[in-house]
Amino acid sequence: MKNEENLAYFLNEAKTIKPRELGKKLRVAFLASSTINGFEETMRVKCYQKGIDCVTYVADYNQYNQEILNENSGLYQFKPDITFLILDTRHILGDYFFSLYSVIDDDRSKIISKKINEIGNICNTFTKNSDSKLVVTSLQIPNYSPYGIDDGHVMTSLRRIISEINTELFQWNLQYKLLTYDFDQFVRKYGENNIFNYKQFFSGDIKISTEYIPKFIDELMRYVYAVTGMTKKCIVLDLDNTLWGGIIGEDGFDNIKLGDNPVGRAFVEFQKRLLALNQRGILLAINSKNNFDDAIEVIQKHPSMILREDNFACVKINWEDKVENLQKISKELNIGLDSMVFFDDDPINQEYVKKSLPEVTIVDLPRDSSQYSQIITEMKEFEVLRITEEDTKRSSMYLGQKKRKELENKVGDFNEFLKHMNIHVEVKKANSFTIPRISQLTLKTNQFNMTTKRYQEEEVSKFSSSDNKIVECVQVSDKFGDNGITGTYIIEKKNDEEWIIDTFLLSCRIMGRGVEEIMMNQIIEKARLFGIKRIKAEFIPTAKNKPAENFYQKLGFNKENNFWVFNTDNTMKKPEHIKVIKNE
Amino acid sequence: MSEKLYQIISKVFSVDSNRINDETSPENLEEWNSFNFYVLLDEIEKEFQMKFDLDELLEVKKVGDLKKIFTKHGINIE
Repeated sequence: MKNEENLAYFLNEAKTIKPRELGKKLRVAFLASSTINGFEETMRVKCYQKGIDCVTYVADYNQYNQEILNENSGLYQFKPDITFLILDTRHILGDYFFSLYSVIDDDRSKIISKKINEIGNICNTFTKNSDSKLVVTSLQIPNYSPYGIDDGHVMTSLRRIISEINTELFQWNLQYKLLTYDFDQFVRKYGENNIFNYKQFFSGDIKISTEYIPKFIDELMRYVYAVTGMTKKCIVLDLDNTLWGGIIGEDGFDNIKLGDNPVGRAFVEFQKRLLALNQRGILLAINSKNNFDDAIEVIQKHPSMILREDNFACVKINWEDKVENLQKISKELNIGLDSMVFFDDDPINQEYVKKSLPEVTIVDLPRDSSQYSQIITEMKEFEVLRITEEDTKRSSMYLGQKKRKELENKVGDFNEFLKHMNIHVEVKKANSFTIPRISQLTLKTNQFNMTTKRYQEEEVSKFSSSDNKIVECVQVSDKFGDNGITGTYIIEKKNDEEWIIDTFLLSCRIMGRGVEEIMMNQIIEKARLFGIKRIKAEFIPTAKNKPAENFYQKLGFNKENNFWVFNTDNTMKKPEHIKVIKNE
Repeated sequence: MSEKLYQIISKVFSVDSNRINDETSPENLEEWNSFNFYVLLDEIEKEFQMKFDLDELLEVKKVGDLKKIFTKHGINIE
């Protein structure tokens, strides 16, 4: 283990970090049924390294029940954003952990439901008392069984009972705020004999050995990425020795390594991993120095190629500078450089991009291609708390985007192009289908976002059921297909005269086609119906939302102190090329 | 070899190695606590390729005690 990865490093580093003025804030609470020293220190340091100022709350040793049950506990006063409840099998099962032999078969289900109820009750109490996300760990399935090789068929099998408890825990994921972390998966990865150290357990009730605490916190960081909206959106790939072995320009179509031979299999497997990520919403792009015709021939025609042209949202195969290509990809896809991950086998390119574009995540690809698949499967940067329908459709949406661009270039005149597009905007209310996506939009949209307020699902849900708020979203489609739900606004009904725009945002891939004007007209029309005189809005500048800066001025809002105000007696310009469908 | 032990201790507790001697203990070194002691044992076990018994780790009250355990294990650190 490198120095930077061992617990001593994190313990010492945690003493030196100081909060920064700008930067994301995160409040994390830890509750556990065993000693968890070192957890919060490691988490604070890991967050700090990613630009997040994390403050933590650690419940006293084995006090999680009391902390959750007492409405005035320090836990609730701390107001966490994420709470980790780290349970362990020994604690939950007590003496059953050692033997279930005395239990008659009929009582099995009773044990299971009793344990599940215990865990369920505290989780429910917590979610009632707090807005925090609650991540509860599933139970580890022990390696050892007193029944030995016969464990599988014994009805009182410990492993079976724990599996059934776990299955139930994962069902809870269907609720808003509860997330179950598959702890058993963590133990499978590193091994029970490494993670559980009897000496540390007997002498200090340590159930995750000190050596593996940083690895465990790495796992919990997945939630941090997802909750703080740091998820990467796009993987940019080199071609030669990255997607296939060898160099197409030198080795030729028939001699590159891709297919059923040792090296070829490594690249096929890597491509399959990439495809799976692509199918669940991560965009792929190519940035390669090659003759376009040579390389595209492989992508189109090579029999063992897994990724085809349609899997790539953007293709840059040319002799231009790799950094410039990356910037172009970022611009064309409307995705920030800090949402990109770059895979390139050449250490010189890795270094060059790292120096020129520090925002881009550069994967340290080794020479050995057999490691590529493992590297991508260990990345934690693609986590989202819930994969929405939009995610799974994203790739085809971007394909539509590519075709829109082609039409735009063909038509030449932008207004003419918009008329050709047949844009439809459907206004939808927040409901159980749209709330996850609305939350996701507030978490991920950076550019056309007037206030950049980040809201979790349960907050959006609360707003939508409040009489003082309006939460709506728009689904945009055109002749090239459905863009999905790409814009949302949240209005605060301040009084009978005035509404305040709390949130107004549009996904960057739709920006500039008149949809934002349609959304604002929608708000104004609704306000007039309610007899509202003034719409008050705010533009909160961030490092990224410059594209939205002049929006209110352009639509006829007047500046009053720090706010933009629109008088509903005035008319607002409305784009005529868009058809609006209302779902009142 | 004594030097090597002091270095590990100074690294784990993040203190200057000249503050470490055989009499150093949690009583006179506030950076040493009951938890990072486990981290220290991890590092020593790795560095000297040995394993402490449960009894042994409970016996350690100061740096000198670590040296006694080394002697018991036949590890020469002088």
